Amino acid sequence: MARLKFLCDADRCIECNACVTACKNEHEVPWGINRRRVVTLNDGKPGERSVSMACMHCTDAPCASVCPVSCFYTTADAVVLHNKDLCIGCGYCFYACPFGAPQYPKTSNFGSRGKMDKCTYCAGGPEEDGSQAELDKYGRNRLAEGKLPLCAEMCSTKALLAGDSDIIAQIYKERVAKRGYGSGAWGWQVAYKETIAI
Amino acid sequence: MSTKKEQAVETVDRSRRGFLRAGLVGASAAAAATGAAVAPAAAAESEADQKKARYKETDHVKKYYQTNRY
Repeated sequence: MARLKFLCDADRCIECNACVTACKNEHEVPWGINRRRVVTLNDGKPGERSVSMACMHCTDAPCASVCPVSCFYTTADAVVLHNKDLCIGCGYCFYACPFGAPQYPKTSNFGSRGKMDKCTYCAGGPEEDGSQAELDKYGRNRLAEGKLPLCAEMCSTKALLAGDSDIIAQIYKERVAKRGYGSGAWGWQVAYKETIAI
Repeated sequence: MSTKKEQAVETVDRSRRGFLRAGLVGASAAAAATGAAVAPAAAAESEADQKKARYKETDHVKKYYQTNRY
């Protein structure tokens, strides 16, 4: 059984934010919510790195551990999904998640939270596959269409990898082998021929 | 002693209100029928269906892997 994962090749990511935009557009994500975002370390300094982040679909997901209404479930291919009909918008998952994946729509001017929203790995939710209800609540179900998450499929530099973890790990391994350097010396040393301490 | 107004009320033909009642029943039936038609489309999947594997290694996915190999 395939285990679906995301893997961001930080040496290839150019911080274009196209993955963020594509995700928002594909799933009609409401204002104020980003299911995916690009995090840049050491921005503007030599050796800066960008990583595209979203829900990492953890094996032992902390969001699921803390949810008081048990609205999370993991599919057979290791995608962590949630049921918005059960979610009470308490925000525990937001505090528990180390990646800041759970987001909440602003539903009123009094600070109340709406139903939690997060990356679904383009796998929809508990509603019927391809139904209008699924599209409205969780976004498009690309996996059911035989596709992969749009953010990864349209990445211009192929930095963001998605799919069967065994296959994408192999692809990444091939890339690293081709670059010809050790794990601490990819990309920047090739470009600038010097060691940069980060 | 009855006033002119009370006499007028007594002479009203109440059967004509049946028209409104019929309309109300009809509207409820239509709403119920619409609900019944919509419900299956929005029905949640069974627990087994929710957790089923969705990933399929289609030609589309294979092409994606291939384009990522360089």
